[in-house]
Amino acid sequence: MSAARQMALPALRWRALRPRARWRESVLLGLLAVTLVVGSASLGATERALAGHPPTFAAADPRALSLYLGMLFAVHLAQVLAGRRTDQVLLPAVGMLGGIGLLLMQRLPQDLVSQQIFGRTLVLGQLQLAWLVLALAVIGGLAVAVRSDRWLRLYKYTWAAAGIALLLLTLILGVDVNGARLSLRLGPLTGQPSELLKVMLVIFLAGYLSENRQLLVEQDTRLGPIRLPPLPYLAPMVAMWATALGIVVIERDLGAALLFFAVFLLLLYVATGRTSAIVLGLILFAVGAVLAYQLVGHVRTRVDIWLDPFADPGGAGYQVVQALHAFARGGIVGTGLGGGLPMVGGRLPIPELHTDFPFAALGEELGLAGILAILGVYLVVIERGLRIAAAAADDFRAILAAGLSLVVGVQAFIIAAGNLKLIPLTGITLPFISYGGSSLLTNAVVVGLLLAISDKGVEPPPPPGSRRRLSPRRLTGLLQRGAGQ
Amino acid sequence: MDGALLTLWIMRLAFLALIYLFLIGVVRVLIRDLRAASREPATELGRLIVLASPSGEPAVGAVFALDAVTTIGRDVNNAVVIEDPFASSEHCALTFRGRSWYVEDLASTNGTFLNGSQVGGTAPMSFGDEIQVGEVRLRLERGRR
Repeated sequence: MSAARQMALPALRWRALRPRARWRESVLLGLLAVTLVVGSASLGATERALAGHPPTFAAADPRALSLYLGMLFAVHLAQVLAGRRTDQVLLPAVGMLGGIGLLLMQRLPQDLVSQQIFGRTLVLGQLQLAWLVLALAVIGGLAVAVRSDRWLRLYKYTWAAAGIALLLLTLILGVDVNGARLSLRLGPLTGQPSELLKVMLVIFLAGYLSENRQLLVEQDTRLGPIRLPPLPYLAPMVAMWATALGIVVIERDLGAALLFFAVFLLLLYVATGRTSAIVLGLILFAVGAVLAYQLVGHVRTRVDIWLDPFADPGGAGYQVVQALHAFARGGIVGTGLGGGLPMVGGRLPIPELHTDFPFAALGEELGLAGILAILGVYLVVIERGLRIAAAAADDFRAILAAGLSLVVGVQAFIIAAGNLKLIPLTGITLPFISYGGSSLLTNAVVVGLLLAISDKGVEPPPPPGSRRRLSPRRLTGLLQRGAGQ
Repeated sequence: MDGALLTLWIMRLAFLALIYLFLIGVVRVLIRDLRAASREPATELGRLIVLASPSGEPAVGAVFALDAVTTIGRDVNNAVVIEDPFASSEHCALTFRGRSWYVEDLASTNGTFLNGSQVGGTAPMSFGDEIQVGEVRLRLERGRR
């Protein structure tokens, strides 16, 4: 009966409190708090100076900042009290990105976004703060409560099916925003399911690749001089490629498609170590890119803008041109938080600044030095993920940890490079910094799971028996045991 | 106004400097972590953990670090000695070739089982797999670093 209960629930087990100090995390969080307070003071002083008052040392919005920092320390404290031996660098790193994002959202014109919640109207900065607090609660909850990965491992096809169902639901019931059908409206809230889909995809891939790793590594299909992984096991790869293209064509979500395919290829490499799979994937990518350019107008526009944004600087290329100007204005140390151009002719210098172009805004206000540091923090998040993967007890956890951190890293790279005009611009969010509930909560789930996997006290991997495919006989057995409970 | 401008400049630069200080703090933790990982004894290729052992030798929970070739059986000359009435003196061998582990049955009387199915000759193994030798069950795990 206890076994059945463990199967049925994400094994939550409450033990007596066993506090365990986490010195590294507390030191880094202290440093983070000082940094954000100084940043907020700098923002407040600049805003007051622009309004004509003498600058004074006072934070821009002390209550919001202290709520955010308080929540960070609460997550830290929860892990200390529960005695978790999880990674001690991820939380401060993510907290830094979220804090910089919060300062940026407080600095932008507040009426960009407003939402009625429980009769109160919340604006940009307050909404971002609310989402950040929720996201931190998710991180803390997952890090403390998840003591087993069985609920991920056992139901990988369920996760994949749920992801695809979510995608289809968006297609049918979705709302068109800026020509892309990405949002799903649920009462007063709109969400972007493609954000959640990326986590489900990584869970599925970790399950699939860890189960079939041997076959992918050992067998060959010879195609003339090239040796490829066995063909039946390449079918999912082709299916993945088709799905990515489908997302591009039907949902017009270029960024998500690029992200999914890149993460898929990287995980295939992580699992098998075969360069031939990567080469094949890149060839498929090239073919898909050319096809999409020829056939899909949306894609062609994006690539044309990328190749020459100055062809139509006031129209199609406006966002990209303004972003380039923002980076140029920023120079090495930037104009300071609050010192950038707030409005040009009554509108934001860059449309969709708070979701798609926070990197350009930070480039203007913190300069090259600032964005290099921010990229450094993303690198730290990736490094932690890969370290957690290297120390993981079995293949499933290793691939899961690598995939989760790469999803964040690749997404940050895609949008940062898009802002910098290194690659065509795709509308995805900058993880932890961009405004948006779906993005923040999904990335919080990613970090929470990474923390849970990194815990040295987490349940050991289950014996291979439970990795067997679910036969009808076993299923009825499970159901009977569940009913007997 | 000059004093005010100076204050603004100092605060801006202080914020940037503090972000870098934070980054340096993080990187120091990472370097310490990597050093600690590399100081530990040479990487194991894998480890075997005893899951069940009716005779008590080896004890349940015992951990064996694996070399590239590890022989398992009742004979004392094996790398992993299993005192089990149903184990042969030279029962099976675990070998690490290329990128993965293999289990090879050395013509044992009662057979070697991989995840519950009998191994005929050689079979590939991945981390997390279970083998059964006699009545002793062992799990292959990634080595500690």
